[in-house]
Amino acid sequence: MDRRVSTHIIRIVPLSLLFIVLVLPLMLLLFQWLTDTDRTVLLSFTDQKTLLLIGKSLWMSFTAALLATCIGTICGFLLYKLKIPYSGFYKLALLLPLLISPYIFAVAWKDGLFWLLGNSAAVYSEAGVITVHAFVFFPLAMLITGSALSQVHAGYEEAGLMVVSVRRMVLKIIFPLIRPALTTSFLLILIFSLSDFSVPAFFGVRTFTTEIFTQFSALYDFPMAIGQSVLLLLVCLLLMLTEHRYLSDAPFFSVSTKGSVSKKYNVQKRQMLWHGIFWLLLIVVLLIPVFILTVQSLTGKTLFFARAWELVWPAAVQSVKLAVAGALLTTVIGLWVAYEKERRAHQFPNVLLLLTFIVPSTVLGIALIRYYNLPLLNFIYGTSLILLIIYVGKFGFITSRIIGNNIKQIPVSLGEAASVIGIPSKRIFLKILLPLMIPSLFTAFVLSFILCLGELGATVMVYPPGMELMPVKTFTISANAPQALTSSMTLINMGLTMLLILLFFIIGKWVFKKYQYA
Amino acid sequence: MKYLWVGLMVIFAACKPSAEEVTVYTSVDQVFSEPVLKDFERETGIRVKAVYDTEETKSTGVMNRLIAEKDNPQCDVFWSGDPIRNGVLQSKDITEPYQSAQTGQIPDYFKEPDNQWIGFSARARVLIYNKNLIAPDSLPNSVFDFTKSRFKGKFAIANPLFGTTTFHMAAIYTALGDEKGKAWMNGLKTNGVVIAASNGDVKKRVMNGELAFGLTDTDDAFEAKKETDDVDYIFLDQQNGGIGTLIMPNAVSFIKNAPHAENGKKLIDYLLSRETEAKLAISCAQIPLIQGTEVPDDVPSLDDIQPMKVDYQKTSDKLEEIQPWLKIWTEE
Repeated sequence: MDRRVSTHIIRIVPLSLLFIVLVLPLMLLLFQWLTDTDRTVLLSFTDQKTLLLIGKSLWMSFTAALLATCIGTICGFLLYKLKIPYSGFYKLALLLPLLISPYIFAVAWKDGLFWLLGNSAAVYSEAGVITVHAFVFFPLAMLITGSALSQVHAGYEEAGLMVVSVRRMVLKIIFPLIRPALTTSFLLILIFSLSDFSVPAFFGVRTFTTEIFTQFSALYDFPMAIGQSVLLLLVCLLLMLTEHRYLSDAPFFSVSTKGSVSKKYNVQKRQMLWHGIFWLLLIVVLLIPVFILTVQSLTGKTLFFARAWELVWPAAVQSVKLAVAGALLTTVIGLWVAYEKERRAHQFPNVLLLLTFIVPSTVLGIALIRYYNLPLLNFIYGTSLILLIIYVGKFGFITSRIIGNNIKQIPVSLGEAASVIGIPSKRIFLKILLPLMIPSLFTAFVLSFILCLGELGATVMVYPPGMELMPVKTFTISANAPQALTSSMTLINMGLTMLLILLFFIIGKWVFKKYQYA
Repeated sequence: MKYLWVGLMVIFAACKPSAEEVTVYTSVDQVFSEPVLKDFERETGIRVKAVYDTEETKSTGVMNRLIAEKDNPQCDVFWSGDPIRNGVLQSKDITEPYQSAQTGQIPDYFKEPDNQWIGFSARARVLIYNKNLIAPDSLPNSVFDFTKSRFKGKFAIANPLFGTTTFHMAAIYTALGDEKGKAWMNGLKTNGVVIAASNGDVKKRVMNGELAFGLTDTDDAFEAKKETDDVDYIFLDQQNGGIGTLIMPNAVSFIKNAPHAENGKKLIDYLLSRETEAKLAISCAQIPLIQGTEVPDDVPSLDDIQPMKVDYQKTSDKLEEIQPWLKIWTEE
């Protein structure tokens, strides 16, 4: 009886908290929209033009997500399954585009093309938006598929290789095993691309998100903007639920890293080709924008690095502290949600996180302001707590998917065997499951750290007055500051983030080593 | 139980606004607004808690925030780069009149009649050009020259749905009338105008040599000149009978039910002072509205510019009226 009560407490208390803290504000906003808005406005956003615009935005984001997933998966496969010299360097270097905000990346890349070719008119198009999104978001796919590939049991591959060729084994064994990671990457990138305003606005391409932004910012038409956001939300929800129903949750082999390591293949031949591919990719996605930022930093009439450092430093300390807290919180909540979904068939928390993930940032910001902006709740609204809530809402779903994919690959029999011999469930979780989940917990933490550190859309709506945060400061300073100062600030942000990620990787390596045979 | 009390006390301490602080939301670029706010902090000892936004992001953050916070305002003062946004807030009953002692120094022309917003340090719309791509004597003299075929595809304006460009278009519409206004804008399109993301983007494209010239604000042009010798700027429509150049003051509003009302008023007084106008003239070439304010040599004076005759209220109304058309013009 006691055990059942505690199980209920573990389930009900966090779920209620998640609902009250994060989902209720959105539901209240939706309710207010439905009850206060004129009926004609409620339906006015569903005309043919709007539907065509959604169609256009969807195909653009679909193409970007497909490209990014393909590039990310190829990189993930080459770096995590082949023994290529300097793979650690490539893994880290190829993550860096994720540290540059899509807007800064678009500006630097456009300037780079203009510098190289003397004309950048072609990038002011749908193709430009798709390319920038694919380049900025492919590291997500690389990280997620790489993490999944490193957990594929060597035994399956070896068994396959006894009867079929390597190519066939990759297509018929490895890819089906990492299918959840592939679909997760694809859909996350699709949603990130769909909800990005900055790049299409910069390239002058009209998408559904720029339309929502225009309603919010130019016309201040809240009912219309919220109505269009609801439509976008429904489209994303439909996509996620389809994936959830038919792809990610389709039955597949359970594999585990326990007692074995993932197989890595020696590639003596074509070493030059692999290095060539990585360097080409690095030049396009990293070196061109970084080179342009560096050139811009150094070619102004004044050197701005000292001034940039002075501006960035206080904001960086605050941002890093918050991002670490946010990443820890989202990882813990992601772990709980993933465990509930995969091991207790309790889908509801996952659906709640999915909802907050796909809500446009501005809508999430407005919902939280209307809900928390009460004198009694000032200890949340006026402090960093409001930002932590934003981080959980925006990124909790991502961490839960990464960890969930890992939990799926841990055989249930391990826990059952321990349970049969009388080990309590808490101990089974702490001593068996948790050590086996370390790679995905680490991936989830690093990824959410990067995302929390760069979050701007909702942060700019709710950050407490007087607080200095790195992405907000870089963006607001960049508006009219000399190009050299903005570029210097971006480079300093990148350098700081890279140092921290390097530190996390060193700590991660130590932790992996410690729990290698857990 | 004692922990509960301690917890509640901490919460209430956090909720109670501290007496010696003021909260300001500003859409003026942080690089210019922050030094002024820091000076106020230093001179008065009142801590300034600022939320910055920028016209580049279309001021989405502060504007939507102010509207959403209406029932329990956190902000005391809204400092905007132009009066349009203050007008929007006024129409939503978010601002409150404040008659500052400094208000008397500002010409009536730059104030809302009830002091719902008060203007100070102004920017003007200018033509920025790249000296390597177009000779000064070949430049257009008027915004209406932009439709001439020799400038086809060579110039940019920022997205007219946002920022000062919206206000500029509305002012031209008010001056010309709807029909001529539409014809002029359609003429721009036929002549291959490039619609840039923002005034900053116009500046950058001209600096980079992507385009010969574009319309932007004096602060952008001033910054561009600091960065490179390849660009310069001119005021348009200065000839006899010309419509003049649009002058847009900064605008400050006092927020209704502000939590730190007294300090908010002190900050408004400070922003409207001659000293602040002098500082903004030095940092971003803003044109002082108070006569006799000392400015550097390269900062234009209102006495030397032929301004466009604008009724800010009428222009704001016109803006609201033409916005749906501007949206269609931008998108098609």
